[in-house]
Amino acid sequence: MKKISKWLLLVLTIVVTLGVTGDMNTKADSNTPATDQYLSKVKAKGELVVGTSPDFPPYEFTKNINGKSKVVGMDMEISKKVAHDMGVKLVIRRMDFDSLLVALQTGKVDMVIAGMSKTPKRAKSVDFSNVYYKAGEDLVIKKSDLKTIKSYKSLAGKAIGAQTGSIQYNLVKNQATKSTLKGMDKDTDLILALQTNKIDAIALDQPTAEAYAKNTDGLVAINAHFKDEGEQGSAIAFPKGAQSLVNSANKSIAEIKAKNLIHKQYLPNAGKYLATGKSKSAKAANSMWAYKDFFIAGVGYTLMISAVSVVIGFLLGTLLALMRLSKNKIANGISVSYIEFVRGTPLMVQILFIYFGLGLVVNIPALLSGIIAVSLNSGAYVAEVIRSGISSIAVGQTEASRSLGLSRSMTMRFIILPQAMKNIWPALGNEFVSLIKESSIVSIIGVKDLIYQSRIVQADTYRGVMPLLITMILYFIMTFGLSRLMKFFEGRMTHE
Amino acid sequence: MNNETATPVLEVKHLKKVFGKNEVLKDINEQVSNGQVICLIGPSGAGKSTFLRCLNMLDQPTSGEVLFEGQDLTKLDDKQLDKTRENMGMVFQSFNLFPHKTVIENIKLAPVKVKGEDDATATATAEKLLKQVGLENKADAFPASLSGGQQQRVAIARALAMNPKVMLFDEPTSALDPEMVGEVLKVMQDLASEGMTMVVVTHEMGFARNVADKVWFMADGYIQESAEPKIFFEHPETDRAKDFLAKILEA
Repeated sequence: MKKISKWLLLVLTIVVTLGVTGDMNTKADSNTPATDQYLSKVKAKGELVVGTSPDFPPYEFTKNINGKSKVVGMDMEISKKVAHDMGVKLVIRRMDFDSLLVALQTGKVDMVIAGMSKTPKRAKSVDFSNVYYKAGEDLVIKKSDLKTIKSYKSLAGKAIGAQTGSIQYNLVKNQATKSTLKGMDKDTDLILALQTNKIDAIALDQPTAEAYAKNTDGLVAINAHFKDEGEQGSAIAFPKGAQSLVNSANKSIAEIKAKNLIHKQYLPNAGKYLATGKSKSAKAANSMWAYKDFFIAGVGYTLMISAVSVVIGFLLGTLLALMRLSKNKIANGISVSYIEFVRGTPLMVQILFIYFGLGLVVNIPALLSGIIAVSLNSGAYVAEVIRSGISSIAVGQTEASRSLGLSRSMTMRFIILPQAMKNIWPALGNEFVSLIKESSIVSIIGVKDLIYQSRIVQADTYRGVMPLLITMILYFIMTFGLSRLMKFFEGRMTHE
Repeated sequence: MNNETATPVLEVKHLKKVFGKNEVLKDINEQVSNGQVICLIGPSGAGKSTFLRCLNMLDQPTSGEVLFEGQDLTKLDDKQLDKTRENMGMVFQSFNLFPHKTVIENIKLAPVKVKGEDDATATATAEKLLKQVGLENKADAFPASLSGGQQQRVAIARALAMNPKVMLFDEPTSALDPEMVGEVLKVMQDLASEGMTMVVVTHEMGFARNVADKVWFMADGYIQESAEPKIFFEHPETDRAKDFLAKILEA
């Protein structure tokens, strides 16, 4: 009990510390003249880092242009204008919609534009620009349901999907109380769920709904008829207190509105990218072969993350196992606490914590954060495997070795570990195989591993299943290859 | 004992060993001189193995002194102990060969790693020792492919490779099939005749009677009798020893 309360206290301390650090920026009114350093900092580094979740056509979505996946859409045109007006380069960071505001608060990005509605709740943690676009809500449904579904009210007893954390998600939750709400991170997953009858409708922002309906066979968009809950429309989010950035963006937005750029230029441009979705050349471009570079890059990242994490995890695991078996009470305590804590918390939270939490103190890039988290996690599991291996060696081996004059550490190195390694080799192999698979979770912080790439291919091609199948096969090839390799070495270790 | 002038190789004074509440060794005082072969006999659970393991500190004595060439081992740190153990070979009941190494690697390991011998020297020594125990053709075999008697002979060769001053044997033939006991005892007998100082825990009364210079009879945590084998086996003094010998002869 005492130990548990100690841990709770530690976690609480960390959370409070982070919370305080995150809230240090003072609140600012929208008319306040800017006194902060945000704009000058952006100008000094010469680039505006924009976070977005590109699965939201026509606001933002990805397009395979000359073999490269580019984020395009209305929001991107606006971002270009904002960056241009500030006189800096535009840099786009892709991540999940849910992670956007956290990324903003922790300084990973300078601004967030993602068809994001301005709500009082969100305005508590970030500062919004003026609204640049406001649209109603639609439902995307199957053509065959067109006669039975007229609004959200027709969906009693059925399932409605919405993007987690979106305005539509809350509208469904508050108003369509007789329907089941199914939240997913990606619009592309929602479309897939609709096509495969997992859900009966998707609540989406009107232009997005129309874009999907236009580009996906068998789907249509209808007005959802939600009651207005006082939505103000989409706006750009900035860190709390970044008044200088807000002011600059508002100037750009005013100009966009004055020239009616959104309807005259941005939406038609976005439509052009989308319109190609059904043409013949687009079909060729949508074949999986056209995206081979994406899968190759993804496999490369996944293998790299796994390989580095296996090595670090193994070394760390060995160290932790020795500490756990040592007679030194401090070393033992550290090791036991570490192993128990890491094994008792989800890898996903650990990754988020290292990227966003530690990000408040030192800025660790996503890839490095992912590798660190996976390595630290793997170390705890490997430690237990190695410990069991060491304990499995008869005490007579140690005694024989010590009686010959070998020191404690020599005994460990030459006698115990080599034998332990042979005993635990299959278990170690399992651990490494699951490490390859679990490394897929780094995609949530935007590491470009195989899962991340298959998401991009899904979004680009509007094909849900094929990229998943290919991803699955690629993972299997990697894990099967590794277990064959482990078997090969196991064979070489057998002494008869 | 008074007529032996040289300092004893091994000497224990008021040796006591307690496991939890179990007093295994109560008060042991004995000496081993250079070249002597001691056979330690007694009923099971008398503490014979524990006593032997206290001689090279595999078991830490609870109190008392263990003097090796005049140096008290109970006062040494880990590093100094490692150094001392080079000079005290030990052979175990269950052989304890290293299964991941070949026979010759088993023998060469300590000379190379601990003494820093070069490979050629260590190999030459190992081959000579293997010949001595009659296993020169098994150099590259792994322990698992050897019989118990062969494994124990390799274990003896492995201990000898460090050129120890004393050899400790902890029931070296107890885990062997009867037909293999002879080959191991033969090796030990040869060793004794070459003048090796040996302390042997054993149930082989024939070996004790024929090879030992002295028999220590241990029971109830004490060494009850210390005598030349002829005297001990023919005229045991204590009732405990008489009882023990009677039981053994019955069997």
